[in-house]
Amino acid sequence: MTKTPDSIPAAGWRRLFVGRQGRKLREALLAYLFLTPAFLVVGLFGLFPLVFAAFMSTHRGLNRIPGTFDGLGNYIQAIGDLTYFLGFWGVVILIVLALRAIARSAIKAKEKNSPFWQWAIPGIGFGVMAAATLGWIIRLLPLLLDIPNQMRGANNTPENFRRLLGEALTSPQAMEMMWLMLAGLGIGALGLAVLTRNPNLRRHQGNFAAPFTFATIMLALAGAIGWLTWAELQKNIADSFTNGGGLDIWSQMILISAGFLLLWLSWRLWRSASHRDSMLSVVLRLGGAAALMLGAWVLIAEAPRVIAQGDARWWYSLLATFYYSLGTIPPQLIVALVLAVLLFQEIRGRSFFRVIYFLPYIAPFVGTAAVFKIIFSSRPTAPINSILGFFGIPPLAWINEPAGILNLLTPGVQLPAWSAGPSLALVVIMIYGVWTFFGFNTVIFLAGLGNIPREMYEAAAIDGAGRWPQFRHITLPLLSPTIYFLTLYSVIGTFKAFNHIYVLRTGAALGTTDTASVVIFQTFQRDTRYGYASALAILLLLVIIVLTVVNNRIAERRVHYG
Amino acid sequence: MADAMTGAATRPTAMRSGRPPMFRFAGTYLVLILGAAVAIVPFLYTVSVSLMNLTEANGGAWLPSTPQWRNYIQAWNQANFSLYFWNSVRIAAITVAGEIVFCTLAAYAFARMEFWGKNLLFSLLLATLMLPEAIIWVPNFITVSWLGRVGPIPWINNWPALTIPFMASAFSIFLLRQFFMQVPNDLWDSAQIDGAGHLRYLLRVIIPLSKAALMTLVLFSFIGAWNALAWPILVTTTPDWRPITYGFFAFIDEAGAQFHLQMAGSVITMTPVIILYFFTQKTFIEGIATSGLKG
Repeated sequence: MTKTPDSIPAAGWRRLFVGRQGRKLREALLAYLFLTPAFLVVGLFGLFPLVFAAFMSTHRGLNRIPGTFDGLGNYIQAIGDLTYFLGFWGVVILIVLALRAIARSAIKAKEKNSPFWQWAIPGIGFGVMAAATLGWIIRLLPLLLDIPNQMRGANNTPENFRRLLGEALTSPQAMEMMWLMLAGLGIGALGLAVLTRNPNLRRHQGNFAAPFTFATIMLALAGAIGWLTWAELQKNIADSFTNGGGLDIWSQMILISAGFLLLWLSWRLWRSASHRDSMLSVVLRLGGAAALMLGAWVLIAEAPRVIAQGDARWWYSLLATFYYSLGTIPPQLIVALVLAVLLFQEIRGRSFFRVIYFLPYIAPFVGTAAVFKIIFSSRPTAPINSILGFFGIPPLAWINEPAGILNLLTPGVQLPAWSAGPSLALVVIMIYGVWTFFGFNTVIFLAGLGNIPREMYEAAAIDGAGRWPQFRHITLPLLSPTIYFLTLYSVIGTFKAFNHIYVLRTGAALGTTDTASVVIFQTFQRDTRYGYASALAILLLLVIIVLTVVNNRIAERRVHYG
Repeated sequence: MADAMTGAATRPTAMRSGRPPMFRFAGTYLVLILGAAVAIVPFLYTVSVSLMNLTEANGGAWLPSTPQWRNYIQAWNQANFSLYFWNSVRIAAITVAGEIVFCTLAAYAFARMEFWGKNLLFSLLLATLMLPEAIIWVPNFITVSWLGRVGPIPWINNWPALTIPFMASAFSIFLLRQFFMQVPNDLWDSAQIDGAGHLRYLLRVIIPLSKAALMTLVLFSFIGAWNALAWPILVTTTPDWRPITYGFFAFIDEAGAQFHLQMAGSVITMTPVIILYFFTQKTFIEGIATSGLKG
């Protein structure tokens, strides 16, 4: 039996795919194959846009892709000097996150008595690779975006495209990052191979490369943000020297930071007061209250100056979004909870009611919004106005009313726009929002109620607890995961909301109903300011992230997972 | 879960009540019927206005004196609904077909297979749920125009821009994964004894067992495709592939004060989705409850 030289490497390959290890490898490869189509789509149209939007947000220009590089200019235009504040604290937070990840796993490694710092080599290697991939994308983007411009007319051939693509990929700035990626990958793989082959290490079964990778990526991001902020700051300082104007960046920065630090301090004091004895607790709470008031005062005093520097339309749209969130989420959750508790009894027609309640959520938004536009129209003969007329109330402009509701309620006093509350037109949109989503919330609450063990009610009933105590002490606590989920879902949902608000928008409401998404859409679609729209979208994402983190923090303490 | 939604869940408090059964739930019914009325009245009003004549519609009548059925024909012709209707059906069909294939494969990998980086990929996928639509408009518009300009077929004003970006979504993959994970492990063991690999197990066992889940997915993506507004506005500058929501949105302005035509258009836009919903409401609501709660 003689083997041809060719079959030996083939057999070697095949050996990889047999046995227990081989089966695992085969399964992993098949899994990646299964994931490829979905991740091509999600990656290109769901994840890559985040990097692309960040890239676009540093460019300016009308109807130009990508436009000219402008650093953080778009952010300065949108939120003024707050950009420096966000840049500085963003860098600080990223560094803290990086260090915390390392510190936490160092402790965990010590507990397991496992070596830790050796993992830094592969961890940092993979981190460098990931960061270099981001850098590679950002360096390649302008080259790729230029390709269609060079393919006009007769040049529009697949061969030409392939040539241009090759040129972009092999350009020095892209290759630089490519080598960095490969170097990171090499170091990472080598380090991992050495570490996992070391018999001393293998016994402990711990892999601590991940925190180092995470920390490296965070530090790279911090570096990028820090560099952009610093460049912008220097430009600003140079400008104010030539213009001879004063520089209030520092004072603003310190005051706003102090304001937020005081708020944070008051929260910490308040929290630590809750598990101390009475005397100390009172002192701590008083201190907390004082810090809260001081911090709030600093922020409120400083806010008008900062806001005045930014884009008034953008600030108002954020305020409108907050109003819309506050005006829709509590009512829709309360209505849904009441309906769900009532439906969760042994009554006839449960499924009938469920189907009906769900209808507004399922019907196309454009269709139902068009009806609401007519029901709440400003004509005296419109349904709502004719009902008001039946009670002798003069007709209101509803969907066309730009005035704030507080101004409408107190006709004698003319409040300034920022304190007049949401406009009546926005209130109509809130009513529409509650109407659309209460059925959805009811259905989720019903499912949550179904998960509460019935024995708990039986036990409570034997103990003589009435309806209300049962609701208060069994239903509510055990439903808290559902309430938390719905709150988070609705907060994110209201901050993303676009379709119905865009349909219910009227010219007469003078933009008082324009939430953040609507302003971004118009900046993009009507004004064709791609870079500015991207910067606004990134700011909106930051707001959503902060809200999610805050929501999670509150939930950690309040949610009861039975 | 299904038991929670459909099973008769007794509340002990209801049993303890001493009032006669006729009136025990009177208050409950009052509130429930009020809620139902609020939910349904706008729809009834839509139908009512859609059958009025111009004077009635603008004069604030509640009911038409004689139903004007030709409003529907007029709205249909005036708004070019034949084209938009067909476009929406085409777009929804292509999106749903792609989504079924892509998401089933990905969900199966996440539910049943072991591979390196599973948690990382899954959390990356879930992170996309948090992204506001606003952040993807600019990049995706540029990507789509770029692909159309360098590739063999145009993407703008054509089906790829309207369908391909929606062929895989974190929500659908997550939904299917939840269902796939409920399939008992014994089935996989016996399938392996019979010599079936992953692909055959997926096609022969998992998919037949998850018909309800796939039905839910079809419904969700169909309705998602039917309801989309912002993205179609961005990527359709001609009516060739413009979907019905955008067509109707433009028609609202065009019809102006002709509320009866507007409402006829609204009924035309909403009817397919509502019919679909009434036929499949049980699957639908349970799908929402499952995916929502487990999230």
